[in-house]
Amino acid sequence: MYYQLINFGNEEFHAYPNKSLYWKRLNTLIISDLHIGKSISYAKNKQFLPPYDTKEILNKIFVSLDKIKPSNLIIVGDLLHDVFSTLSLKDQDYKNLSQYMKNTDFIWIKGNHDKNIQIEGFKNLSNHKIDKFLFTHIPIETSLFQICGHYHPKVKISHRGKTIFKTCFVHNEKIFILPSFGILTGGLDIHSKKISDVLGKNNLSIYPVGQDKVYKL
Amino acid sequence: MNINKSNPLLLHPLNKWMKKKKWSWFPHQIETFRHVRTGSDVVVFAPTGAGKTLTGFINPIDDLIKLKKFKGLHTLYISPLKSLANDIVRNLEKPIKELDLHISFQVRTGDTTPYKKQKQKQKPPNILITTPESLALLNSYENAKEFFHNLKYIIIDEIHTFLDNKRADLLSLNIERLQTFSPNLQRIGLSATLKNKQDAKKWLCRKKPKIVSYENSVLPKINILESKERIPWSGHMATYSINEIYKEIMKSKLTIIFVNTRAQAEYMFKNLWLINKKKLKIVVHHGSLEKNLRLKVENNLSKGLVDCVVATSSLELGLDYGDVEKIIQVGAPKGINRLLQRVGRSNHNLNTPSEAILVPTNRFEFIEAKAAIEEIKKNNLDKIDLKDGSFDVVAQHIFATACAGQFDIDDLYKEIIKAYPYRKLKLNDFKQLINLIQDGGYVLKNYDQFKRIFQLRENKNIYKLVHKRETRKYRMNVGTIIENPMLKIKLGTKSLGNIEEVFIQNLSQGDSFIFAGQVLEFQSMKNNLVQVKRSKSLISKIPSYSGGRMPLSTNLANSVRALLAKSNMWDLYPEQITEWLKRQKNISKIPKKDEYLVEQFPRKKNFYTVIYTFAGWHANQTLGFLLLRGFKEFNYKPLGFVANDYAIVLWSLKEAKEIKTILNLGLLDKHLDNYLEETSIVKRLFRDNAIISCLIERRLPGMEKTGKQVLFSSDLIYTVLKKNEPDHILLKSSYKDAKKNMIDYDRLREILKKIDKKIILKKLTSISPLAVPIILEINRENLSKKETDEYILEDLENEILKEANVLSIN
Repeated sequence: MYYQLINFGNEEFHAYPNKSLYWKRLNTLIISDLHIGKSISYAKNKQFLPPYDTKEILNKIFVSLDKIKPSNLIIVGDLLHDVFSTLSLKDQDYKNLSQYMKNTDFIWIKGNHDKNIQIEGFKNLSNHKIDKFLFTHIPIETSLFQICGHYHPKVKISHRGKTIFKTCFVHNEKIFILPSFGILTGGLDIHSKKISDVLGKNNLSIYPVGQDKVYKL
Repeated sequence: MNINKSNPLLLHPLNKWMKKKKWSWFPHQIETFRHVRTGSDVVVFAPTGAGKTLTGFINPIDDLIKLKKFKGLHTLYISPLKSLANDIVRNLEKPIKELDLHISFQVRTGDTTPYKKQKQKQKPPNILITTPESLALLNSYENAKEFFHNLKYIIIDEIHTFLDNKRADLLSLNIERLQTFSPNLQRIGLSATLKNKQDAKKWLCRKKPKIVSYENSVLPKINILESKERIPWSGHMATYSINEIYKEIMKSKLTIIFVNTRAQAEYMFKNLWLINKKKLKIVVHHGSLEKNLRLKVENNLSKGLVDCVVATSSLELGLDYGDVEKIIQVGAPKGINRLLQRVGRSNHNLNTPSEAILVPTNRFEFIEAKAAIEEIKKNNLDKIDLKDGSFDVVAQHIFATACAGQFDIDDLYKEIIKAYPYRKLKLNDFKQLINLIQDGGYVLKNYDQFKRIFQLRENKNIYKLVHKRETRKYRMNVGTIIENPMLKIKLGTKSLGNIEEVFIQNLSQGDSFIFAGQVLEFQSMKNNLVQVKRSKSLISKIPSYSGGRMPLSTNLANSVRALLAKSNMWDLYPEQITEWLKRQKNISKIPKKDEYLVEQFPRKKNFYTVIYTFAGWHANQTLGFLLLRGFKEFNYKPLGFVANDYAIVLWSLKEAKEIKTILNLGLLDKHLDNYLEETSIVKRLFRDNAIISCLIERRLPGMEKTGKQVLFSSDLIYTVLKKNEPDHILLKSSYKDAKKNMIDYDRLREILKKIDKKIILKKLTSISPLAVPIILEINRENLSKKETDEYILEDLENEILKEANVLSIN
């Protein structure tokens, strides 16, 4: 898999087109906003999205773990869409997960969607600090470098008279925001007020995610 | 034969009123009356001005008077437009009030207040005038059966607009529902003149089907604008003729200028104002304008306060403006029926001819305009293709049925296949559509507990809605018209209308553009509102609106080919056109009417292949993509292609020597699926399908979704489904729609079936005169928006003309 090299907080990270981020020095894989079970949550309201999201997301994770074999997997929030989401996890899924947990330490940071849910075998934290880096779903007031999720960033690209929206990795000097690893998850323009309030408007490093490649703008 | 002696209408309650007005009954009115009275379903074909609306009401009024103070709903009148529905009420009011007839009548559309709607349900009028969408809604209410059980007549106005689209599918299903409620119901269709009248009859009529037809013997007077300026090679804006168009407006009391796109409307309007020295009252009318602005224009038109209106198809149907003296059609007519409909908007007197002037915006359009005039003289109309109904509309109808109460699926299926578009609907597909409404219809069952409708335990054939609140979701999604994502434009606090989101995304703050005839400056976008202010800028963009691009009709295309081949006619054309064709004949060839000319020539280090198919834009676009793949297979290293209504041009690094081998039916069979997968056509249609079938919601109160979010999530669903469940009914439905509408599959197939024996291949040393227009389009499409300033185009045009060695023509 091709990756895009990103330097953040003087550390080397690799951004993959499957929307995961790899921290090389600590052999740690980072993903965010999986929203497992979103289709079930919608079905509850009689909005019938295809129920394949959970299966696909888990497969994506397993493929990454097989390839990279990280010591740690950090999920920076919204692993699950809501309390109904666990209904979409089958016995086999739990078995597979515990199999992978033997070699990889799973660290689950709570997000706004899943702060009250527990899954057996998962460490459930409100944030997690490693060296000068803080892993948190939504950025907080701190002097540390922060790696977060929550916003599902997308970037608007206008070129030769055409405009496209692309999911992206984005960071400023201190805050890094991951794209959503989910399947049925939407996105938010990085220049929208919600994201600007966090990252500011200038000096952003933006990495749009293409089909097989992460680009750098 | 003396019609008066045997005229049963002389005893009709309206006869007194007709006499007072000094009007006499038309033969088709008498004939219709007789057929309907003896129990026939009838379709009436008559031109505008031949008392069509009245024809529909003759039997209902006669019946209502005989029945004396009939209580409840007796007649339903379906109109394609809300504005037309209001107009019908006004027309009906006159005789009923003047004769003091005891007949009640009301209108019910999306604009009717909830209070009034409620009243109508409690105490229905004798005659209700409504639209297909409002009818669908009425049928979804629990008391629908009681409401309609005494219904005697349903009248479908302008039925020719209802024959070949999803709205027609929806209407056909709801008519069958009414027939179930009231088995004695009789159907009356009112139509403009059609070529395939039998098809319209099959679509509508069930009981002793009859056709009544009235042909107007007075032909319209249609001419091509005589211009001293040269007709451009390419382009669609008719800038060359603006002064002459202005002169024509001055000559007539009221002129309607019809154009083909909203962008053309804005452009034409702006250019007319720039030269409006006489301060004529010129206005613009198109579908994206705010309703109030549109109504204001329509009001001023009927009051005679306007000299000229620039309009799109938004004014094709609808109110009669008696004062319209002249129609100017700018741009290609594209089809005979369409042109006739537009021309018919002038002069609603049957005995004097309508007058129209055609303004071709480029050279091919000149031939097309000529051909259209010839065909109208011969009364050779376009055929309307009746196609199998779309699946998504059935899904919506199933949901509506469930809203009205529990239902038996066998009964519903039997009722649906009575509707003409669905006569071939397979039981298996129908069951999948039931599942789609039940829970999305996915093979993987993750959540059995969540359903929208469910089977009764005691009878598995009976389905029932899980909860009444679901009816609200149906009512939010009703209808088959899906707009592109639009944003509202605000000037101060005043709303001007809607503009495509895609266009706004390409603007920066301070950019100016034309909308509603005004030059506006883009200020900001907040909460899906586009804030603008007035601008004095001279350089401004014109919003483009995707969709609605009409392909050249097969009928007119054949006529264009025949006319092109008639070299003895050329001398009657303007000199520039004559010279153009003569040169083509010398340098290359003019194809005969059943030949397919293919030209190949080198140009700027690339090799060009131009194929003149005259297949219309959709089919040519598809063929272009297929050829691109064919060229790749033969390793010609293709670089791109451009298609228009008449031709396709491909350019490649290597010469396409085996073009004759590539161009055949195999090309279609081999590459079509790949093509559909790679382009966004099916994806876009999937969005429409997902909304119409109520899989995703248009909008919900309290959680207003912007158009873009809907587009986004439907794309995600599409991708997930394609990967995991490629046989899902909505994917099947979207492919079906694509083949039906977007890629002109049948037309392309017909052409490719016979093309290999009819190819005339010309190897040239440089570009031919006939190829110049489409080659110019290449450069236009490949330029970015900012570069398309007129002078660049002119420069480019000159460059290519020099190259083609045809500059001397002018």
